[in-house]
Amino acid sequence: MDPTTAMYIAQGMHGIAYGMVLFLLASGLTLILGMMGILNLAHTGFFMLAAYFGYQMVQWTGSYWAALAAAPLVTAVFGILMERFLLKKVHVYGPMAELILTMGVSLVILDGVKVIWGSQSLPLSPPESLQGLVNIFGMQYPAYRLFIIFLSLLVLFIMGVLLYKTRMGMIIRAAVSDAQMVDALGINVPVVFMLVFGIGTWMAGVAGVAIAPILTVSPGLASQMGMDAFIVIIVGGFGSLGGAFLVSLICGLLSSYGIQFLPQYSAVLIFIFMAVVLAVKPEGLFGEKT
Amino acid sequence: MIKPKRYLAIAFCLSVLCFGIVQDASAIDVNASYDLSTLPDMSDFDPNLPLKPDGDTIKIAIISSFTGPGAVTGEAFYLYTSWAAHDINKRGGILVDGKKKKIELIKADNQSRPDVTKKITERMILKEKVDILWGTQMSHLTQIVSQLATRYKKIHVNATSVSDSLMEGKNYSKYSFMTSYSTQQIGRAAAYYYGQIRKKETKFYILCQDYVFGRSIADAFKEGLKEYYPEAELVGEDYHQVFLTDFAPYLTKVKASGAEVIFTGDWMPDAFNLLKQSRQMGIMLPFANIFINDPISLEELGIENGEGLVLISPAGTGNPIFKNQGFINYYKAWNNQWKTKFTPPYNTIRYSHIFGNPAMYAYSIYWTASVIERAKTLDPEKIISVWEGDSYQYPNGKTVSMRACDHKAVTDLHAIEFVKPEDQKQCFNIPPYYIYNTSAAGGPVFEIPSEKILPKADPQLCK
Repeated sequence: MDPTTAMYIAQGMHGIAYGMVLFLLASGLTLILGMMGILNLAHTGFFMLAAYFGYQMVQWTGSYWAALAAAPLVTAVFGILMERFLLKKVHVYGPMAELILTMGVSLVILDGVKVIWGSQSLPLSPPESLQGLVNIFGMQYPAYRLFIIFLSLLVLFIMGVLLYKTRMGMIIRAAVSDAQMVDALGINVPVVFMLVFGIGTWMAGVAGVAIAPILTVSPGLASQMGMDAFIVIIVGGFGSLGGAFLVSLICGLLSSYGIQFLPQYSAVLIFIFMAVVLAVKPEGLFGEKT
Repeated sequence: MIKPKRYLAIAFCLSVLCFGIVQDASAIDVNASYDLSTLPDMSDFDPNLPLKPDGDTIKIAIISSFTGPGAVTGEAFYLYTSWAAHDINKRGGILVDGKKKKIELIKADNQSRPDVTKKITERMILKEKVDILWGTQMSHLTQIVSQLATRYKKIHVNATSVSDSLMEGKNYSKYSFMTSYSTQQIGRAAAYYYGQIRKKETKFYILCQDYVFGRSIADAFKEGLKEYYPEAELVGEDYHQVFLTDFAPYLTKVKASGAEVIFTGDWMPDAFNLLKQSRQMGIMLPFANIFINDPISLEELGIENGEGLVLISPAGTGNPIFKNQGFINYYKAWNNQWKTKFTPPYNTIRYSHIFGNPAMYAYSIYWTASVIERAKTLDPEKIISVWEGDSYQYPNGKTVSMRACDHKAVTDLHAIEFVKPEDQKQCFNIPPYYIYNTSAAGGPVFEIPSEKILPKADPQLCK
């Protein structure tokens, strides 16, 4: 493969890899927002918290795989506890109260990690088996980035099966559509919502542990990707996993090819894309008109 | 048996040698220096439990981010400045207005936000009645502090923000003193090192953060290349957003450009994420930089991935670090405290040494205190008159002078090549003979004379 072609292909793959991590983060957010109507400002906080849990797991076990398995679950437990004991109580006061609460939780998480782990950046390396480069038709590409693409596709597949091929998924979708009716059918809707919240924070957790070896684990992690994640759910359409997936990929590719061809405008391309989409379709690409 | 004539010859040679040494010492023509001969007992220093000085004090506001993502910066600022304050206080304080006064540091948390910086600085001035403003991180925040220093006629010590523009044109404040190095010096020093000292690599790629600081340090590097390395080729130039997540697209361009060195002014976490991602992508190019020196981050990368980095430092004195017993004692006082007394967050290897860039925060307090002591008053106008044109020698032997016309520090800089632990002995010449045993760190050090890299001078100010 000639160097110029390799460079363009590599840029595409970088865009896909970044888009996939963005999807992991944004999908949990859109799931919670779309299905429960809660704009969870603590979501990126959970994403960061998972990276710290991952770091801690690696310190204890020495295994990245253990961290990838356990840290998102622990994060999900925290998410469930928040939904159960905090969000549920303020639900009656409407979305503004929920918004303020999640913002508060986000600040508590931010300061909490500093108290426990300090404010310095902490290292988390990829597992040894994923260090180094993989040869793809003569192009050298980092193995860990390929793994991220694979991991995100796996999560997307699991979520797709869960939501669209299982009874539980059917109940979740029904509860979102008409919670009172589902409740009348004898299904415990609060438990369903708690489950959705848990799944959403678990996905943020997976994203946190996945991104940590590329970045460093620090309190700034939440703000680094938070803005992009919110753009994804707005442009993709609230609650649409497919929209989140597509827009994440577009954002990733816009970013990498923007840097390649229009470096001076690369930072604003995503915002231009958002403005254009919202001007044409205010509810987002896959959002439903309300 | 040696003949009498030979004795005379040997005596003559020795006298010439001695005279040379004396000449060397006297060549460091400074107005004041840190006194290494009488180091106080520092064993009660604890950054987490600072001793509050009693009586009438000289209050210094340490303005930085102590909460939020930028808290790490404030943490380091406070640690090193409080060490210097403790040292001065243990010596009895400073004679001001006929009375010995101790130094009292007050944390002023600006949360890295302009509005908070303004509020907290004004609170420090009006409510806490501080005498000196110290800080802060990031040029636009420092500019706010500087403006308030002018409004309230308070001395402002900028030991941390390096943009030349802070001391130029409308931004210039006669109350502000920039004790740090500046973007012009850094960029040109890097170019000088590659063009006049190293003379190997010829292809450079600039990758900096996309804001005033990143752009001005890149401009300085380009100017330096024109001046000191005209045969060098700039094969690429990019500016990325601050706190970027994914550097891979930029690094792919760097790889395709055929660059031999990446020049970056990035600070953490961008600086380290850039380096880390480049190594993950198999790009082993050296980075000429100013902030990639964190041992914990470098440890994660492994020793081999840190080798070849070139740090432009304002704190160097040339090899070795320890040139006299006085500085060894000073260093050991710190290092012993770190080993035995420092508690989280200060007990990591990040804070094991008091030399290099972070030590400059402490040294700036020494210089400030010395100026006040010589002014014999806290009257800002008298402090200004002493500080303008002043020269001072830091504990590590480094000399620095304050240019009178624009209040920018003039000093030699050093290019430090990072090497593996066993090669760090040339730099760290006392046991254990390495700076960090788990990461690459300083090895060969090259001096860039101050006259070759003078800070940019505003023609209106420096006629």
